[in-house]
Amino acid sequence: MWQYEKRLQFPVKITKTCPKTAQMIISQYGGPDGELSASMRYLAQRYTMPVKAVGGLLTDIGTEELAHMEIICAMVYQLTKDLTIEEAKTAGFDAYYIDHTTALWPQAAASVPFTALEFQSKGDAIADLTEDLAAEQKARTVYDNLLRMITDPEVREPLKFLRTREIVHFQRFGEALEKTKDQLDSKNFYYFNPEFDKDKFHGKL
Amino acid sequence: MSKEHLAIANIPMQDYGEIYDDKKALCTGTIFEALDMPFFATDIEKGNKKSALFGTEKKLPEQEEREQLMTQITEVSFVIDDLTLYLDTHGDEAQALSLFEQKLTERETLKKQFAEKFYPLTRECIPYCGKKEDGRFCWQTGPMPWEGACV
Repeated sequence: MWQYEKRLQFPVKITKTCPKTAQMIISQYGGPDGELSASMRYLAQRYTMPVKAVGGLLTDIGTEELAHMEIICAMVYQLTKDLTIEEAKTAGFDAYYIDHTTALWPQAAASVPFTALEFQSKGDAIADLTEDLAAEQKARTVYDNLLRMITDPEVREPLKFLRTREIVHFQRFGEALEKTKDQLDSKNFYYFNPEFDKDKFHGKL
Repeated sequence: MSKEHLAIANIPMQDYGEIYDDKKALCTGTIFEALDMPFFATDIEKGNKKSALFGTEKKLPEQEEREQLMTQITEVSFVIDDLTLYLDTHGDEAQALSLFEQKLTERETLKKQFAEKFYPLTRECIPYCGKKEDGRFCWQTGPMPWEGACV
């Protein structure tokens, strides 16, 4: 069950229209390392996690990613809400405008639509947590790249916040992996899959 | 736990360490000093941070008060968000747990105040809503979060 709270996790107030910036930032909505992909990845992986606390962490981070998606969408919305047709034409926003006007639609910066192929839910705790570590790093790189290109401080502040969150999440997934390792044989973490070979994991063999 | 192993990722468990105050934590993106690792491309901005985040234009007193309260709620709530993840992997850390409980109480009080003066942020706040227009349902009052009306 989820409940809505009528506020953003980090405030967004952008006063200058800039479709070019919107076009770049939208990647963190529907792109390969975006917030939607992150949220769906963690919320999909959590059901079969063998260590209960790790399932709990995936729920909490997956939920926070939804709030990050809302921050990104708020930024894209505010960057384009007063868009003129001339601005749409000159800033390279024209193709997006034809299909979606100024509405929000999850796509990457290079116009590739959001797809579940951007993440995996493998059913193996070590494989999934290792993917989660990599996902946080890739998202951090996107924020680095955005911070190199975007100069408007009203846009940069939320981007800096979101970038730090990727680092914090990386640390937490690392700790979750350590917790999973604690329950496995350190001489061979790969002797069985704790997410599938439950009898072996619970020591019944 | 701290032992490193071959052929698998090894990440050290974080110690509680130094904690930022609520305002600095939100601004940074974490309450933990040890996880504050900024990107070089943001070094140039030092000093002009505050004016960038909070507009300098003249505001009505009501707007001023609403933004102040909303900012406090955002800061306290963020401390809770970050502590939640920390406690997920450090369940027996007494210091973190005690700060977590303190912030939860602060947040409840602030949310109630916000509903009484302005509009409800969650459905639980609806009974405290002070601006009931002729007994109408007040969940839809106030700006939507993405409009940038608060801050």
